[in-house]
Amino acid sequence: MSKDRYSRQSFLGADSEEFISRCTVGVPGLGGGGSHIVQQLAHIGFQRYVLYDYDVAEESNLNRLVGATLTDALAETPKLHLAIKMIYGLQPNANIQGFACKWQDKPEPLRECQMILGCVDSYKTREELEIVCRRYLMHYIDIGMDVHGKERPVIGGQIIQSSPGGLCMRCMGFLTDEKLAAEAARYGNAGPRPQVVWPNGVLASTAVGLAVDLVTNWTRRTRTHAFLAYDGNEGTIRESLTLRNLAIKQCPHFASSEVGDPVLVEL
Amino acid sequence: MKTHIKMTGELHASILQDLKRRHPFAAERVGFVFGRLGSLADGGRLVLLTRYHSIADDQYVEDNTVGARIGSDALTWAMQAVYHGRPAREGIFHIHLHGHRGETGMSATDRREIPNLIPGFQSVGRDAGHGIIILSLDHGSGWVWVQGSAEPAYAECISVIGAPIGVFERRRTA
Amino acid sequence: MAYPAEQTDDLKRYSEKLSLLPEAGVSFLLMEGLRLPAGCQPSVCDALLCPVAKDGYPSRLYLSVQVASPYTRNWNCSNARIGERNWFAFSWKVDLLSPTLTQLLIAHLNGFAKDK
Repeated sequence: MSKDRYSRQSFLGADSEEFISRCTVGVPGLGGGGSHIVQQLAHIGFQRYVLYDYDVAEESNLNRLVGATLTDALAETPKLHLAIKMIYGLQPNANIQGFACKWQDKPEPLRECQMILGCVDSYKTREELEIVCRRYLMHYIDIGMDVHGKERPVIGGQIIQSSPGGLCMRCMGFLTDEKLAAEAARYGNAGPRPQVVWPNGVLASTAVGLAVDLVTNWTRRTRTHAFLAYDGNEGTIRESLTLRNLAIKQCPHFASSEVGDPVLVEL
Repeated sequence: MKTHIKMTGELHASILQDLKRRHPFAAERVGFVFGRLGSLADGGRLVLLTRYHSIADDQYVEDNTVGARIGSDALTWAMQAVYHGRPAREGIFHIHLHGHRGETGMSATDRREIPNLIPGFQSVGRDAGHGIIILSLDHGSGWVWVQGSAEPAYAECISVIGAPIGVFERRRTA
Repeated sequence: MAYPAEQTDDLKRYSEKLSLLPEAGVSFLLMEGLRLPAGCQPSVCDALLCPVAKDGYPSRLYLSVQVASPYTRNWNCSNARIGERNWFAFSWKVDLLSPTLTQLLIAHLNGFAKDK
């Protein structure tokens, strides 16, 4: 491998290539957001992956599934295979643990990660992933987008960093009981949600930027949490308004004692 | 069977800050850090460090044949902590700092002295993992005894989940 | 959160083992070997009683398997991840004023034995 390969990202730091290569990243969900994320991580030099997706490429994915072709849609190529092929095409020595199932069905491999980039499509799953990250000490970076309004569609999205010891998604005002209840009332399934490639790309790129900063500290900014709100109509990413007047300084939702495998207290 | 130790960046920083302090007579400082177990795939073990206890200056014993020697008060405290940690299956790890960069291992003195503490911890906190962690300025090594085992598992990795992330991987064989 | 001892003592009658499982600010009650009403298949399974409001329900009973019962239920919660296990629950709202834990459990178990 030529020394030139990462020369254009030398500003990340002299040892950044090594730091990046040692980090294990979990990506549950390899659809519109996850496929972007995996592509970028592979380009940058990440070598170790824990991937989950049980779904296959379909024609309706082709507007946004990075790496998928018409042939893949016809062949119903598993999204996991597309991601693995993407990674090996750039990093032939990558160490990939890939699971064609929901992460909840095989959660142990995720626990070795230093960070998880969540590209899932329900508040409930986000809540569950954050709990796992707090239990097994991992950074959690979440992305999601939505399109609402019929007369004048509005694209919105978020990139959130929730880290052990720092503010969580509830603290930051993203996860609320009301949102979870409304989602549960829809039986957790809102039907096919609008999804397009360019907002996914913006969100995924921003998430990968957060991830690279966590590994290399190239910005020298020690970020304990982040909630960035994407306005797809204006084309802006700004810190969420909910952070501006945040009264919470320390997360009350996750006890520092709730770490490791659950310990039951027999009554 | 893989063994992996994790701690937050905040905990790592506070441990380093404490261990770097000069002691009135000991050449180095030691402390105790507590951890809980998590299960990995294929029977592997995760040790998640939760809190640190700094040993007070007056609980050291002056002994110029070793870097640091802690007295009976410190050991009694540690045993009591293990006892009180039993419901949560919280184990204890002896921790100190070697003041160089790069991967570190046990010195001859470490190897002779520290493992002797483990059977006592195991007898009190049977269901927890106990062990030894040695940090360097930018790395770390760990040895974990789980549930009655006579020999430790050498931690293949210590991860610091902070900003930045630290991944200290074992390259040595001992 | 601790529950009144007399209530947890009473609840113990319904399962082989009762434990507290705290997670993310909620104290679940894990009932291992909960005996289900007649007609249920299986007749025994593990359950998590959540006596506080969560996900739009004032309280909820999660089960370790999707139980077949005389009345068809809407299992709108599958593979909910709590305490590092996967759980199932059907849509069943229990509206009681200040129930004891046992009253809450029975009200949820009635979901298997009653048409709504």
